[in-house]
Amino acid sequence: MSLLNVAGLKTSYGQLNVLAGVSFQVDPGETYALVGESGSGKTTVIRAIAGLAPAQEGSVMFGGQEIRGLPERSLRPLRKDIAMMFQDPVGSLSPRLTIRSLITEPYRIQGMKNRDLDAEARRLLEMVNLPAHFADRYPYQLSGGQARRVGVARALALEPRLILADEPTAGLDVSVQGELLNLLNTLRERLGLAMVIITHNLNVVRHVADRMGIMYLGRLVEEGTTEAIFADPRHPYTRCLLSANPEPDPDARLERIALKGEPPSLLHRPSGCEFRDRCPVAQDICLQTPNWEVDHGHGVRCLVPLSSQLRTRTT
Amino acid sequence: MTETLLEIDNLNVDYETARGDLKALRDISFDVGRGEIVGIVGESGCGKSTLISSILRLTAPNTRFRQGEIRFKGEDLLRLPERKMRDLRGADISIVFQDPMQTHNPVLSIGRQMVDIQHRSRASKAEKRELASQMLGAVGIPDPEARLDQFPHEFSGGMRQRIAIAMALMSEPDLLIADEPTTALDATLEVQIIERLKELQQKFHCAILFISHHLGVIAELCDRVVVMYAGAVVESGDVREIFHNPKHPYTRRLIECDPGHIKERARVLPTIPGEVPDLAELPDGCVFRERCNQAVHRCASEVPPLELLKGGHYAACWLNRVEVEV
Amino acid sequence: MEKSRSEFSQIIRGIARDPLGLMGLIIVGTIVVCAVLAVWIVPYDPIALNIKDRLQGPSTAHLLGTDQLGRDTFSRVIMGGQVALKVALPAVFGAMAIGLTLGMIAGYGPRWLDNLLMLLFDTIRSFPTVMFALAVVALVGPSLQTVVFVVMATSIPTYGRVARTQTLTLRNSEFILAERSMGASVARILGVHMLPNIVGVLAVLAAMDIPTVIALEAGLSFLGLGVKPPTPSWGALLKDGYALIRQTPWLVVGGGLPIILATLGFTFLGESLRDVVDPKLRKQR
Repeated sequence: MSLLNVAGLKTSYGQLNVLAGVSFQVDPGETYALVGESGSGKTTVIRAIAGLAPAQEGSVMFGGQEIRGLPERSLRPLRKDIAMMFQDPVGSLSPRLTIRSLITEPYRIQGMKNRDLDAEARRLLEMVNLPAHFADRYPYQLSGGQARRVGVARALALEPRLILADEPTAGLDVSVQGELLNLLNTLRERLGLAMVIITHNLNVVRHVADRMGIMYLGRLVEEGTTEAIFADPRHPYTRCLLSANPEPDPDARLERIALKGEPPSLLHRPSGCEFRDRCPVAQDICLQTPNWEVDHGHGVRCLVPLSSQLRTRTT
Repeated sequence: MTETLLEIDNLNVDYETARGDLKALRDISFDVGRGEIVGIVGESGCGKSTLISSILRLTAPNTRFRQGEIRFKGEDLLRLPERKMRDLRGADISIVFQDPMQTHNPVLSIGRQMVDIQHRSRASKAEKRELASQMLGAVGIPDPEARLDQFPHEFSGGMRQRIAIAMALMSEPDLLIADEPTTALDATLEVQIIERLKELQQKFHCAILFISHHLGVIAELCDRVVVMYAGAVVESGDVREIFHNPKHPYTRRLIECDPGHIKERARVLPTIPGEVPDLAELPDGCVFRERCNQAVHRCASEVPPLELLKGGHYAACWLNRVEVEV
Repeated sequence: MEKSRSEFSQIIRGIARDPLGLMGLIIVGTIVVCAVLAVWIVPYDPIALNIKDRLQGPSTAHLLGTDQLGRDTFSRVIMGGQVALKVALPAVFGAMAIGLTLGMIAGYGPRWLDNLLMLLFDTIRSFPTVMFALAVVALVGPSLQTVVFVVMATSIPTYGRVARTQTLTLRNSEFILAERSMGASVARILGVHMLPNIVGVLAVLAAMDIPTVIALEAGLSFLGLGVKPPTPSWGALLKDGYALIRQTPWLVVGGGLPIILATLGFTFLGESLRDVVDPKLRKQR
């Protein structure tokens, strides 16, 4: 049974339909990556799951329980099981509290004051490979990488079953990125965590995610195992994303698939297939609305047959 | 042989702080030729911000120029009177910054800002608007004439960055400094910006000093690369040489760590363990020694000089000496 | 807790480094010390009558001379300082506390509550202070408490607005979102996470406000709406001195000079405080 089951999730702010029906599942211990550009709705999805953004329609089942639309009172006990990591590592830490207070905050919020919070703080710092004396520091004294690790420590405090991570490697130097990803992998294995990771960095996805979903304009356009998607991307947008990865090799001649135009405004959604005005292989048939088709666990929302799409190097 | 446009010659810059002197730049030397695209690769704390602010002479009050020169078209910028420096900024030397959300004045229309920065030109207002419109077109903004009257918040992040590039190139500068211009953008936008820069560079023949920690972008765009670590240049040379035949352990590790080239899912990703040293308390010897897995005895006591290896390829590492001796 | 103590000494040191700030610190320090020790350091009883020595000029016995009832002006000035602070400090800190609370609620709570509180604030602000004072005095008679109440009530909107703006700004910060994601209650978010980030700005405001409040109290006392005679107040001294200016100018000096000094002192202190607190906050970002 899946741990998290999102079905038909829709979110709008007035006229803006930010999420137009998102569905995916995450099994216990699995890492699922949500990939997309700014404006695709990926951040809204995890906020909606965590009850921090509204969702007018659809269902979010966690451990078999419906949590969409639950009032804060009922949601609070579940917050032990669902932890979030935010994009801005230093900004997501309350500036006037010590690291010790910050990582033991979850205990205090859940009323677990009888624990030895100092010991818990030490345990958590050790878990993320930060020296014990960091407990007395303040967020502004930390580097981006260190602050991210504090975010991980805080997320793990109550031994959650699911972690929602928003761009966990954004802004990190390349030499430090690996550390964080290795840490997440290790902890995931040790603690049996499930994770939903949001990123626009496909390189990161490859090393951390079991399955991934590509979002465009508030909808999933392709979904499958990471290997399958990298080896055989079936949606033109996925192909564009994969080819937009400059390689650290000056001689690499990537046949880049040009993505035309700008990300469209949410107020002016194209009719039919919403990707058609930027799609390099759009045809007449794209004026119709494509359905979600699944083939051996690989889902795509596209009407153009595979044979007539451009072949490109995708490795 | 291209004529040299910018020469950084043995530049040493400190910041005076309560804790002591932060040695932000030490013995920095490299050149940028006319029409060349030179990339500066470096992670947090490498000194690239100090370098840029030194070139532009827009430094913090506690900055101390201890030694060295920054020669632009033969003249040392560090000894130039402020008046002449102002003439250069925005005309001969332009800059594009990292954050497109903060680059533009939010209360003035784009057209107004683009006309304002042409203040040195004697052209009429209509002519200035026309040029602005052309530049917007050149960076791929559709309907440029109409969009001149729009405000920054009406454009997306990618468009704002393109507008920033248009503004920087409007004066046809000799040198464009781009400080992490794509770091805040999605990969697809990043690629668009890089391709624009390549096109525009061909058109205007300006030199570009491109700062980034994204190796893929550097590899794609630059002719030559300078690798910086904790305030020092550790390696520099032709882009192919640097990526295919790196001669400094830091460069090698950096390339290894870039997940872009690791095709198979890795259980454990390579990293560079340790931290960048405190610039106020630098270790003796090579600045990278503590994190280097190939350090030899000499590395702990003597700072390796930046040496010419062959064909414009410089590196600061004792291991290269060992090779040569063997 | 530890941070507050070391932060406090850091702030004081920062202020002391600025020459004007140091001056402010000294002036305010002197006023406060005199006010606290007033009862013990006054050379004469400030309300004791001594008609035969009335209206004398300054002398070694009476540093600022005496008033129309023979009371030592200098003693009344010192006691007046205590009165000034007895009004200013509770009024300002009371207004700050109430304004902070209401402002945070307005900034964080639902729209209708915000609108209601803003309406309340605007209503209070549109009342001329003196008229308000007149009304209150007419109801309950003049006294120290009346003045404190009037001053506090009219100051609340200022602090309320600033607290509200700060709350609105911080409300969408990532760290607040992070706290919400952990299930923190509204009380916890406001009390533990918002408040420490807002208090700094309000403290600066308060420091700059104290001279205004002192002047307000003096003004009200001058009009007879403030502390009841014979309690000495700088405003009361001004009132008496104004009538007796041809007989002795020293009452006006005794009433006016401390107000000027206090205003200067607190203003320098407040500005220096703001400079110290602000860049620190920026560095911490």
